[in-house]
Amino acid sequence: MLDLLKSAMMGAPGYTEIRYHRRVQTAIDARNGTLKRVERRTLAGAGVRCLVDGCWGFVSTTDVTSEGLRKAVIEASDAARAGARLRRDKARLAPARLGKGEFVYQACVDEPGIAEKIQVVLKAEQRMREASPLVVGSIVVYTEYADEKFIVTSDGAEAHIVDRKPSFHVFATVGRGDERETGAKAWGVTGGWNDLMKKRDLDKMVDEAVALAVRKLDAGYAKGGQYTVILDPQLVGVLSHEAIGHTVEADFVQSGSVVKGKIGEKVASDLVTLVDDGTMPGAAGMVLVDDEGVLAERTVIIERGVLRNYLHSRESAAAFDTVPRGNARAFTYRDEPIIRMTNTFILPGDSRLEDMIAGIEHGFFLREMGQGGQADSTAEFMFGVSEAYRIEHGRIGELVKGITISGQAFDVLKSVDAVSSDFELDLGSGHCGKWQPAKVDAGGPYLRCRVTIGGRHE
Amino acid sequence: MSGEGRVMKGLEISEELVRRAKAMGADEAEVYYLKARKLEAVFEKNDLQVPKGDSYEGVGIRVIRRSRQGFAATNVLSGETLDDTLAAALAIAEASPVDTNHVLPDPAEARPVPGIYDEASERLVLEDVLDLGRRFVEAARAYDSRVTIDSASFAAHISERAIANSKGVRLSERASSFVCVGMAFARDGDDISSFDAEYSGSCALAGIDPEACGRRLADKVVKALGAITIPSFKGSVIVTPYAGDELIVQPIAFSSSAENVQNGRSKWAGKLGSTVTSPLLSVTDDPRIPAALGSASFDREGVPPEPIELLKDGVLGHYLYNCYTARKDGVRSNGRATGTDQTTPGIGSTNFVVAPGQTSLDEMIRAIPKGLIVNRFSGNLDPVSGDFSGVVKGGHYIENGEIAKPVKEVMIAGNIYELFAHIVAVSREVVTIGEMRLPYIQLEGVSVTGK
Repeated sequence: MLDLLKSAMMGAPGYTEIRYHRRVQTAIDARNGTLKRVERRTLAGAGVRCLVDGCWGFVSTTDVTSEGLRKAVIEASDAARAGARLRRDKARLAPARLGKGEFVYQACVDEPGIAEKIQVVLKAEQRMREASPLVVGSIVVYTEYADEKFIVTSDGAEAHIVDRKPSFHVFATVGRGDERETGAKAWGVTGGWNDLMKKRDLDKMVDEAVALAVRKLDAGYAKGGQYTVILDPQLVGVLSHEAIGHTVEADFVQSGSVVKGKIGEKVASDLVTLVDDGTMPGAAGMVLVDDEGVLAERTVIIERGVLRNYLHSRESAAAFDTVPRGNARAFTYRDEPIIRMTNTFILPGDSRLEDMIAGIEHGFFLREMGQGGQADSTAEFMFGVSEAYRIEHGRIGELVKGITISGQAFDVLKSVDAVSSDFELDLGSGHCGKWQPAKVDAGGPYLRCRVTIGGRHE
Repeated sequence: MSGEGRVMKGLEISEELVRRAKAMGADEAEVYYLKARKLEAVFEKNDLQVPKGDSYEGVGIRVIRRSRQGFAATNVLSGETLDDTLAAALAIAEASPVDTNHVLPDPAEARPVPGIYDEASERLVLEDVLDLGRRFVEAARAYDSRVTIDSASFAAHISERAIANSKGVRLSERASSFVCVGMAFARDGDDISSFDAEYSGSCALAGIDPEACGRRLADKVVKALGAITIPSFKGSVIVTPYAGDELIVQPIAFSSSAENVQNGRSKWAGKLGSTVTSPLLSVTDDPRIPAALGSASFDREGVPPEPIELLKDGVLGHYLYNCYTARKDGVRSNGRATGTDQTTPGIGSTNFVVAPGQTSLDEMIRAIPKGLIVNRFSGNLDPVSGDFSGVVKGGHYIENGEIAKPVKEVMIAGNIYELFAHIVAVSREVVTIGEMRLPYIQLEGVSVTGK
């Protein structure tokens, strides 16, 4: 395949990149006592990108014969040449460390067949319905991407990539009278079925989702206001990815995000070091070679409170006179690579969680992401929280529901006064959306900081 | 005709795969074929970003064996991968529980809808699309120098789809669409308008005017300059056709989907024949409008859809069905199965047509002492409960029957199903946006939160 791709780009003008990507996606969706949907989709083809006279042309095709690829290269370079007459801001490419050879992200052993996976999903859904007489809605969904890619560029990348990313979502709804409450758990990895099952115990997650929903029926609401809180690794991941991470993507920086021109400035507490790193083994955002053929490396975004780097493609790295570290990603062969995060996290510190809780007179212990949320290029954010407990006089107290957290993410990071020694990446279940989806992960330690809590009774 | 041979090929592939699925043990089988070409020019910050082309061909194979369903899809149409995909569909069926509601439809006559395919699309190349996009961006910029196009795209889609099943369904159809869409803001010194969007779509290349679309967008954002904050109030809100997708179309389509009715998520379960909205609201789902983007002669399962009156003077007339949900309710599918070759059939509307009312937009505004025009809504609407809240973009404040000022930092909130009962006026003017035809709709009792 590498030779086929290389011969197709021979003689093409300017820079050319051909990415053959074959994806087999499996989805198993059981809900409310029925198997709603089982789908296996094979989606394969080549994405061809040419840079001629400072303009891109992108053509994707299912025809991966040598004639088909040749035709796509000619169409893409012709389109780029025609576009170059229109495009004023000319694109250039930064030099990069390019991937060559085999990249098998995680070896998968003893992968079960589809029949066994369907049975496990059906059993988990049944377990959810039987976990409590209050259950009125039960959803268990398994999703898996099995990817193989060949990436060749005219300046020397030649990578063969094998990657598999599965995830589970369990979602329980309980009811009593007209009241409805929900409990959800979700997790994902890079690896096989067994790696996913090792990350979390499916039965335990089903039980916890139901138990949380049931406990929420009797939970009260909190009074809104500014509080000192503990964020768990998943919420630290949400903050790092959604509220901070997007603002440091170089294309958003160019559009005027809040951190434009702030490299070298103090943007967070000394205790905070935040990185993006595609090389984390087994994390759902694992990318060893990105879709421009660039080798992944750790990018230090914030180092002990000081903003150090943005996230780049080869094009943005040239504009900022820096080096790309593997953040140009495409979801399928039909998508062109754009700047994306991989695994985004805060490094652990040296505090003990118990001590951090004991130091709070009046606040909240917050666990996992709830429903709803948004963040924008000003780093203003609002997220739902799944599980919130009061902390009074240094002790964890009762569950409260309907909690949202909001604020300006850099202000929140400036308020961090303790970072635990724990560490987990725990945002690998879903997708990040930015014109096209991407599998990402995020997390970190527990943080103690100040946020605005939105409650029901303000 | 030049395209005829290719459609035949799609049907031939589909019929051949149906035969092979039966030979491998399927009781029933369905193959949905899609061949598509897309040409697009993407612009960002007043500049060309990238010209893009895509050629696609794929099949989705659905099998039923002993009342168990399996589905697998592939866009690799080589013998080996097709065999593997057939085997995967059968293996999934084998491992799935019995569900007697899985059925395939019998053949029915599908009359072509005129005007949904423009042969001019066959000669189109990326350079043409680049030029159409450039004309849109330049027209907007020439209209007023304060306008910045944040993002814009001109796209042409050309598709051929075919379906065959073991009961004798054998249908194919070609369609084309041309879509121009842009997002912009205006800046005058320190005054920056809110973002607004404009859209133009047609099945015919000649039916789209990129310059006019660009000028409409520029006019909107320039008019949003000089925005003021307003105090909070509860009162009249005019939902424009551009805000209507989220606030009007989506909740109605959600609640009339038979799947949501059957799983208890629809507010309109058990309400057929009952009044569910103000009598001023009438909605037809019409798949047979000539040259309309949502028109088609058959759905994802090969059922020919006919126009249905979802709402007649506020009374719920129909649910939207595919074959699975229809079987569950003991009725016939009305041909509202949606989806592609890569998915199992879902449910959705076709051309969503809200009937015009008696009032002109001017009269509507003149009758409002204090109110808000919502050009675009950016927020969340939970279609189960109907609760929504979000930010108004490109909003205008109405005072004493006149448009007083553009507004900023305004949020609206409420429950859409409750507000549907409080529609007080529907405009005579109707705007076509893609698959929707919407008038201006005046709601009473909306919470408007200002500063």
